[in-house]
Amino acid sequence: MSTPSPVDQVRGQLGEMLPRLRRFARVITRNVHDADDLVQVAVEKALARAAQWRPESRLDSWMFGIMKNAWIDEIRSRRRRDRILAPEEAGLSVGDESAAAREIAMSVQVAMERLPEEQRLAVGLVLVEGLSYREAAEALGIPVGTLTSRLARGREALQAMLGEAR
Amino acid sequence: MRFSDETLMAYADGELDAATRTAIEAEMAVDPVLTRAIERHRALAGRVQGAYAGVLDEPVPERLTALVAKPTASNVTPLAAHRVARAAVTSRSRLPQWMAVAASLVLGVVVSLFMINESDPWEETAVGLVARGELDTALTQQLASNAGAARIGISFQDRDGAWCRTFHLEREAPVAGLACRSGAEWQLKVMADAGPREDGLQTAGAMPLAVLEAVDAAIAGEPLDADAERAARDGGWQAAPNVAE
Repeated sequence: MSTPSPVDQVRGQLGEMLPRLRRFARVITRNVHDADDLVQVAVEKALARAAQWRPESRLDSWMFGIMKNAWIDEIRSRRRRDRILAPEEAGLSVGDESAAAREIAMSVQVAMERLPEEQRLAVGLVLVEGLSYREAAEALGIPVGTLTSRLARGREALQAMLGEAR
Repeated sequence: MRFSDETLMAYADGELDAATRTAIEAEMAVDPVLTRAIERHRALAGRVQGAYAGVLDEPVPERLTALVAKPTASNVTPLAAHRVARAAVTSRSRLPQWMAVAASLVLGVVVSLFMINESDPWEETAVGLVARGELDTALTQQLASNAGAARIGISFQDRDGAWCRTFHLEREAPVAGLACRSGAEWQLKVMADAGPREDGLQTAGAMPLAVLEAVDAAIAGEPLDADAERAARDGGWQAAPNVAE
């Protein structure tokens, strides 16, 4: 028996990872529809480049990096097209939770949406996705020191917007 | 307080070495302010994570599950089709052989959080990281054949016609990256720690995969040869018409 090809390995693991990819895409794009479009583009890209992934490295970090780059590409081509997002598309929906939990979740998400992108991605990778500083820095293509300072500034801004935990 | 807020944050995230952790815990025993600061970091982390937890319970749209279920993606969007086609063209053919070899050796980053105390030859600005000092000088003046504080790798034009160059900077914590010219400055598109890895998976001086991927995604046409590189430098990296598209 031969070992599964890189594409098959990547495909198998991506299937289980889709909920997490959708979650990080929500952090990146701040928009439900854009988020799933981004996941689709990133998965297609990953499958096309599966040979570049090393099994000894984490697939999730690799995917998050691909998603970030794909989003930057998308933003750039959007600016070129000068397309403006329809207002009704903006805004996130939250899964079914109690009204109170939903309200808190919304306020945290709104605060997240106000963060500059570089801080939002650092916070998303470390606090939401649970990556180590090293893994998050690698996914974003920045040195660890830069990652920690973005993370620190992002947290400070969130803390200022949200106040003390209720 | 003798610990910076950044250090307390790293403690709350479980990112500190044992010695610093022990020092903080000793201080926490006698300093309630310190304890509260760490609790605040943890509480915020919990709230942020909780705010996005609902996404994991949502059903995944069928168009996404179909992508990983089938051997080939059948419902590719125009945007995605473009990307896949481009990835197929660029992934193997455009990079010089040595870079492909480097890519196979490289994984990424190993740097202790506390090694990054040298003053950085870059600055965080409103448009992102921008090269300063020795790095700015090297990117502007040096050719790939010159030696200097930084080593220049390949130079090329990106799809918007901007000049881009890869570099490798020898310092206590070596970094490699991709810089693209924007106005009178070099914007750092990607940087990765480029020291040898403890696990031997990255050799000193190799170009990290993150940088190679960024080159791959940005490059229009081929890297400049030595004559074109010199001409672009002597021309002061003036904006030039796009070579592709």
